[in-house]
Formats: sequence, structure tokens, C-alpha cells
Amino acid sequence: MSDQPAIRVEQLHKSYRMGAVSLHVLRGVSFDVPRGQFAAIVGASGSGKSTLLHLVGLLDRPDKGGIRLDGADASGLSARQRNHIRCRDVGFVFQFYHLLPELNVLENTLLPAKVEYSLPAWMKNRRRLTNQATGVLERLGLKERLRHRSSELSGGERQRVAIARALMNHPKVLLADEPTGNLDSKTGKQILDVLQEFHKSGQTILMVTHDASIAAQADRVLHIRDGRLVDQ
Amino acid sequence: MYKFFLCLRYLKSRALAYAAMLAVALCVAMMLIVVSVMNGFLDKVETAAKGLFGDVVIDTAGLGGLGNYDELIAAIGREVSEVEAASPFILSYGMIRIPNTEYRRAVQIAGVRLPERVKVSTFGQGLFVQEGVTDPTFDPPLEQMARSAAQAHEFTLELYRRKRNEAGDLLSRKATEKANVENELAALQEVLDRLETALQRQQTALERLELVSRLLPEMTELRRKIGQLKAQGKTLEDQEYRQTAEKLDELVQQAKFYDADHRIILGLGIQGLVYRTDEGQTVRMMLPGHQVLLYVFPLGRQMTTSELEPNRAMLTVVDDSRTDVSSIDSEFVYVPFETLQQLNNMHADGAQPARCSQIHVKVRGHRSERELEQVAERIRGVWAKFRREYPLAAMTDVAVQTWRQRQARVIAPIEAQRTLVVVMFSIISSVAVVMILVIFYMIVVQKTRDIGVLKAVGASSGGVAWIFLLYGAFVGLVGAVVGTIGGYLFVWNINPIHDWVSRVTGLTVFTREFFLFEQIPNTVNGVNALLIVLATIAAGLIGALAPAIRAARMQPVEALRYE
Repeated sequence: MSDQPAIRVEQLHKSYRMGAVSLHVLRGVSFDVPRGQFAAIVGASGSGKSTLLHLVGLLDRPDKGGIRLDGADASGLSARQRNHIRCRDVGFVFQFYHLLPELNVLENTLLPAKVEYSLPAWMKNRRRLTNQATGVLERLGLKERLRHRSSELSGGERQRVAIARALMNHPKVLLADEPTGNLDSKTGKQILDVLQEFHKSGQTILMVTHDASIAAQADRVLHIRDGRLVDQ
Repeated sequence: MYKFFLCLRYLKSRALAYAAMLAVALCVAMMLIVVSVMNGFLDKVETAAKGLFGDVVIDTAGLGGLGNYDELIAAIGREVSEVEAASPFILSYGMIRIPNTEYRRAVQIAGVRLPERVKVSTFGQGLFVQEGVTDPTFDPPLEQMARSAAQAHEFTLELYRRKRNEAGDLLSRKATEKANVENELAALQEVLDRLETALQRQQTALERLELVSRLLPEMTELRRKIGQLKAQGKTLEDQEYRQTAEKLDELVQQAKFYDADHRIILGLGIQGLVYRTDEGQTVRMMLPGHQVLLYVFPLGRQMTTSELEPNRAMLTVVDDSRTDVSSIDSEFVYVPFETLQQLNNMHADGAQPARCSQIHVKVRGHRSERELEQVAERIRGVWAKFRREYPLAAMTDVAVQTWRQRQARVIAPIEAQRTLVVVMFSIISSVAVVMILVIFYMIVVQKTRDIGVLKAVGASSGGVAWIFLLYGAFVGLVGAVVGTIGGYLFVWNINPIHDWVSRVTGLTVFTREFFLFEQIPNTVNGVNALLIVLATIAAGLIGALAPAIRAARMQPVEALRYE
């Protein structure tokens, strides 16, 4: 299994109904992301890149085609198994951070662990998990911010918390949806550096963006247009 | 894990949740107060009914009454082992008058045997002169009467002085501050007038008691002598007998203090005989030693209406009784059983034995209604046998009923009212459910993106639903607990609260005459409380159910896209 790619996408099709019109967003997309690669998908808005990311992250189901994460076929899984994979194997970073406003930085980071563990298991592992989360946050330069609410953080800090949350459960793949889209270029650069750093320590990353210059930071750039991957 | 965690977090940071809790708490408190007061009414009616008439009542359908009652009581005592005591009772109607005044009032007259009566009922617990006496009679010691009379007088005097001081204060305020106190003064003057009347009336009783205490030894001696002469078979033909009787008569006329057969115990609450102040103090107009004229309409014998002429008797007041059931206290007077028998034409004559109108039976121990019904059934058996032996005992049917059956006409409507009120208040309480639903729906909408995030990090639909269900249950629980505590505090202090509201607003919600009782009754019932708490938690869950389902069904992609 070790030679399997981290992500394998085969002939994905997806369409949405917008009232009477059916919108064919993805028209047969196939690609692999080998383990440890930092891949970027670039496309204009409406090209289907976010939809592709959501399908890879099992947030949505394709109409046709297959997705394999670390060699395991994700189609035909039960909702429960998909939840488990989302929790264990996939980390999401969103353009708008999507932190929970009632929780502080540490609690936001621990959220995937809290979802994964039952109450007794959580009590048993609390210290270890908290240390782990604190470690990630420290690595992201948020040591002083552990008890802050997201409303007290800057955009860059929020995105770093979101990255910490995504990495909390050591996912096999990190999916980033326009992670710098809501940030100024300087802060965006910092976030990209962070991603690079995790990539260097072996994290598989699939990022989508509309910005070719940001995509250029990745090992590999895929272009998507009108629901198909294209060469340039 | 995250379910509890997020549920608590949402609780902590949502002011709306507190609004929902408050609504729930108010509904719970309202339900508890209503149920407790209704239960209190029922309890009071029940204990009062039991206390007044015993556990089982043997009643005749007609007015003619039940003869050979002592034999029947003996037979019941022999054959029904559960019966602890039984006592005959006469209920009649009449009027009391106070000599030398304009006062007259219709009353119900109870003919009771003392002290036997206290074995079958709670009569005797609320006596004034014979307070705490285990075997009260119609002939309490003169010192006891004098002591109680003096005590009542002292109390009135004290009240009078206080009110007069208040009036003085008002007058000086009027003089110095030119305060407008006319209304208060007028009200106070009315109170003072009434107290003065009471003091004057009491004075006559006190004087008479004093006179009696001087004459009593001689009266007692004369009565003893007459008893002796009677025993020797002497009649009024005999000179010594006649002279003794005349002498006694003279003393009785002088003292206006009648023998033990001519005594009366007044219900404490008969209008005009007591004065109740706004502060709830009872001022007695009538004291032991007073005399009243009692007219009895003798319904005890079959006769045409034109023949219905009242019998009358002069009676000495020896005590007063308070049951806390105002319909009883404001209408009943108690006289010795044999005296009322005479006055009601129920005494033995050529054709019929002496009769009573009811027999009140006390059953040993604390019995359920079913057990009491079994006892009543056995008494019916005794009666069926008895009436063959004593064909003259009753011309009409005899009904043997448990106290509950007898009071069914009173109890059933109250029970029906309780059910109705509970149903109505449940409907009102559904407002809280709707409120939770609306509030939670709003919270779910506000939290749409969070729900998307939760699903993105692997939370299941069920888990997301649970967050909101737990939230609803928690709102229900907290609301229920707060409401229960608040409701019980209210119920336990309902009378002070009512008095306070009356004082401040001038509104009287609970009118004593209207509601039978002196105080707003309340019975705090743990089972009811538990049911209400459980129902409230269920209501919280129900209110949260639709929003929770909506949250669970959200597609993560759409939830994340939600702006």
C-alpha cells in the first residue's frame, strides 16, 4: 500500500441544480497526489476547484467517479465511515478560517480531537492531546494566544489557528481552500511559509487558489478550467 | 465529547438561552403554584370533612331521624371490629338572638355529645376555653371560662389602646403637617367604634361570670339537693322540693347562668359575634357567660307546615369553636345532644323512640377509601339486621357513606377544576415550548457555519443534533429547577405574599367567605414536582427537536458557504 498515492481522483463528475438549470461543475477530473507532495490547483472562480476540494475532503459526494485516500476507496462508504475519515485523515483550511467564536484558540485547535474521542477517552488523553495542540500552536507562533477568542485575533493569526486545527489529528492530507484569499499579501506569504514548513516535514497538501503566483509555491500546479484539468 | 462541551459553551455565551430558561422557570413556577394550591384546597376539604363528620356517616333520608341509635352504635361496636367510636349527631336549623339587642341570625345547629364527640371528629381541637382539653364538655370549670374571658377582654383592650394611639398620631400629624388623613381617620374611627362595642359587650359577660362565681356554690348545692329529692321520688307537690326549686330558679334568673343542659358553643366566625380586623385578628363580641336565645325549627317530627312553630331555649355560652373551615365556623352552633333532641322534637314520645339525624363513625387507624367502603358495607349489614329487630328505628332509608362519598359533591368539582386548570396551564406552558423552538431555530441558523465546520472535522449528523437536544434539555432542566425552587418559595409564603399584595394594592384575591378557609391552603407534593420537572425537560427536548433535526440535515458544503 505504501506505493499508493495520498490522493487519487478518477473521472470525477459533479453537477448542481440551480433552479431549472443543471450546472455541470466537474466533467471528468483525474489526478494523483503522491504522498508528501504539495500540489496546487489553480482556476478561475467558478472553474470547479472548490467543489473538487470538497469532494476530495468527503464533504460532498461525486455524481460519478472515484476518490481514493491513501489507497482506500472512499466511494460506497457509510456516512459514519466518511465522518471518521474526515476526522482522522483529512484536515481542512478554509478561506474564511471558520473558527468557532465561542471557543478560544486552544479549544478551536482541539475540536477535531474532541470530535474523535468519547468523553471517557477524552478524559484519559486530555493532557496528551492538550500538549499536542499546544505544541502545534507554539510552532505556529501562537503560544501567547492560547486563551484568546478568535474575535481577538488578526486574520493571519486566525488562519494559523485554522491550520493548527486542521493538523491536530495528523491527517494524511491537508486540504486548503484559498488559504490566503482573505489576507493581505504579506500575511498571505506568512501562511504559505507555514504550509511550506509543514510540507517539508512530510505533510501532503492539496491547495486550491485562483492566484497563479501563490500556486507557484507548490511542488506541482494543476490547472482547472470549466470542470476539466488542462495543460496550462 | 464535543456534544457536551459545545452545548455548555453555547449555553454560556447565548443570552437568548437565559430568556428561554426564564420562560420555562416561570411556567414551571406557575404550574407548581396552581397545582399546590388546588391540592391544598382538596386536602383541606377532605380533612375538614373527615374531621367534622368522622370516617363513615350513617344518615337518614328523611327528617324523622334514626331511633334506637345507642343500640345501633352498640351493635356496630360489637360486630364491626374496625370501628373505634361512634357518636349520634343532630343537625337542625334555627336562629340565635341576643337578649336585649336587635341581633338575630340564622344558624345551623349541631347537637353533639361531649366529650364523646372528640373521639369521632376533630371537634375540640379549636376550642377557646377548653383549648388542649382532651375531654371537653358543655360544663367547663368556671375558672377556665373566667380566665379565657379575661384573656379575650385583655386582648381587645390592648388592641383598642393601640388603635387609639394610632388615631392620636394621625390627629397630631393632621395638626402639625396639615396631612390629609381624613379617610384613614374615618376608617380608624370605625374600628374604634367596633372595638368599643365589643368591650361593652364583653363587660356584661365578665360581670356575669363574677356574679356566677359568687352564686355558683349555692346553685350547685341546690341542684344537688334537688337531685337527692328527685331520687327520693319527690315532686313539685312536695314543699321542700318546690322551695328548693324556686330558690334555684331565682338564683339562675339572677345569674342568667343555666344548667349544663342549657349551654351553647358558638362557631367562631358567626357574623356579628366576632369582629375580624384588617390585620386578621379576631375580636370576640361574645364571651363565655353570655346568654343567647336559640330558636329551633323542629323538623324532627312529621307535621304540617302550619304546625311548625319554633321551640326556644335560653342558653349560656361556654366556649367557641374554630375549625378553620369558614363555612362551618360562620354558620354552626353546638348544643348538647339531648337538648337539641328536645328542641327539635326528636325526643322519645309514645309512638317513637328518641332519635338522632346522623351517626358519625370513627374507624381505627388510617384507612384508604377502599377499606372505609368495606367498613361502610359491613355497617350496612349490621343495619339491615338491626332494622328487623327494631322496626321503629327508622321509617325511611338509611344511607351509610364514607366521608369521601358524602363529600363527593364538593370534592368532585374541585378535582375536576384541578384537572381543568392543569390542562389549561399546560396549554399556556406550551408557549415555553414554542419559545424554545423559536429561540433554538434562531440559534441553529446563526450557527449554520459552525455546523459546517463541525461536520468538516468529522462530527456526525446525530452528534450535531445532540448538541441542540442537550441544549434544549439543559434549558428545560435549569428552568425546571429554578421554577421549582421559586414556585415552592412562593407557595410556602403564599399567605404573607397575599397579605402584602392586598396591603399594597388594596386587592383581595382570596376572600375568606368565598373560599371556605381562613388561609390559602397549599400542599406541596413531591411527586407533582418531579412530574413537572420531567415534563419540562421533555418540553425542552421537544422544543429543540425541530431545530436539531434541521441542524443535523445541513449539508456541510452548503453550511460552510452560508453567509
